[in-house]
Amino acid sequence: MTDLRVDLCGVELKNPVIPASGTFGFGREFDEIYDISVLGAVCTKGLTLEPRLGNPTPRIAESRGVILNAVGLQNPGVEHFIAHDLPWLKTKTRVIANVAGKEPSEYGEICARLDGLVDFVELNISCPNVKCGGMTLGIKPENVENVTRIAKNALKSTPLIVKLSPNVESIAANARAAEEGGADCISLVNTFTGMAIDIETRRPVLANNTGGVSGAGIKPIAVRMVYEVSRAVKLPIIGMGGITCAEDAVEFMMAGASAVQVGTRNFTDALACPKIVEGLGKWCAAHGVERVSELVGTVKTNG
Amino acid sequence: MRELTATVLENKEIAKGIYSLTFASEEMPAVRAGQFVMVEIDGFPLRRPIAVCKAEGERLTVCYRLKGEGTRRLSSRYSRGEKISVLLPLGNGFFVAEEEKKVAIVGGGVGIFPLISVIRAYAESKEIYAYMGFRDRAAVCMQYEMQRAKELVIATDDGSAGYRGTAVQAFMEDFGRVQPDVVLACGPLPMLRALKNAMAGRNVPVYVSLEERMGCGVGACLVCVCDLTGGGHARVCKDGPVFEIGEVEL
Repeated sequence: MTDLRVDLCGVELKNPVIPASGTFGFGREFDEIYDISVLGAVCTKGLTLEPRLGNPTPRIAESRGVILNAVGLQNPGVEHFIAHDLPWLKTKTRVIANVAGKEPSEYGEICARLDGLVDFVELNISCPNVKCGGMTLGIKPENVENVTRIAKNALKSTPLIVKLSPNVESIAANARAAEEGGADCISLVNTFTGMAIDIETRRPVLANNTGGVSGAGIKPIAVRMVYEVSRAVKLPIIGMGGITCAEDAVEFMMAGASAVQVGTRNFTDALACPKIVEGLGKWCAAHGVERVSELVGTVKTNG
Repeated sequence: MRELTATVLENKEIAKGIYSLTFASEEMPAVRAGQFVMVEIDGFPLRRPIAVCKAEGERLTVCYRLKGEGTRRLSSRYSRGEKISVLLPLGNGFFVAEEEKKVAIVGGGVGIFPLISVIRAYAESKEIYAYMGFRDRAAVCMQYEMQRAKELVIATDDGSAGYRGTAVQAFMEDFGRVQPDVVLACGPLPMLRALKNAMAGRNVPVYVSLEERMGCGVGACLVCVCDLTGGGHARVCKDGPVFEIGEVEL
């Protein structure tokens, strides 16, 4: 029987499998399909101080092996989450609150509001689908460091995860900037900015024209970026990008991730996360791995 | 709401470009008229939301139009005996109140199929007046099912079968005589808009089933929203797909 527990910033997760922000709401809908307390944690839909309506529809498109989304941070606001969803979600598993703001000060305010209420805050400085805030704060290393520091100063007791955009010059440099700013953990990758065109109408499929690309097709790029970041910083890493099965999760952990997030696969298979939890145990047992955390960073690169 | 692996019994073309897919499972849950299923298509990251046409115990039939690569794959990959993963039942479905005896249903295109589930559910207990629109004679299908309505008007754009014109036009010509207690509709947006305009001020409840590109299909991802007339959004997959017509922007 493999020990699937992992330690993330001093917080124990019962296993390293976490549904990714934006694909899982606040957990209630998927809990109608399976008991979500089997998950290591739940990462919430991106939260903002005020409710947001998001982008026009269509908000989703499909291309081979990937999807594109441009939801645009629709959410009921942090107060609604705290009052209506958080008490219930905390009874299920660890809670990662994904947060976004228009400017650095808003990140500080929302972090201060959530401090001590959730198990982790994940800073969304990498959403490609909103006009201000989001990714604009996540591109230049100095901006990453600045917003991280503001968030960290607002968080007295809750560990801070900074979620990195892959749409940057150097993801390792941005990871170092987050570490410098006081991040406790790095998560990556968010989606790649992309576009899909309906050739009959000659119009983009998404109302937003462009959207974030995710799904199995991005996995090798995400694995490479997790590996690069693991070499660049000492912080624990949550890896994600195209994970569809337990073997993919193992690959991310070998690249350097202490835990993984699963996003798009929840749409293909609503039971993806519990299947990956189960599959991880089986894979480890078959490979003589007693504790799943032993896998982290064990890739042996060629000289 | 559950995900299960069903066995395909039949997947065949029933009109030009329209397929009927029947699958079965011993674990099949009860499904209401107007609910839908998310069907997995091997090799595609997104499931396809398809309205339920017939629910018969362990068997379920959904109908779909060939539209892109996904539906083409669905039509070619899943023949009798194949396993198919389905997530169901999803959405709120159509609801007819006890006191509503005369039910008018107005459908167009693939929107006729969820209305067939209404006929099957209520043909015994209600008077159903069906107005079903098709492009032309070659597109007409499932007549046997539709004929279980008390009255059936088939409308075609070119008049090659039945009434010449739209289902909404045919319905409004009969409206004064039929005096329905409730109207249920599903079809393309221009059809629903025409119905909304025609029914304005008539004081009869109208419910429409909407279509939108979906992500999760269960209400979590907020991809398939529609605008509410009172402001804000509703999720087509979870709060709908059926809405009171005045409640949503069309």
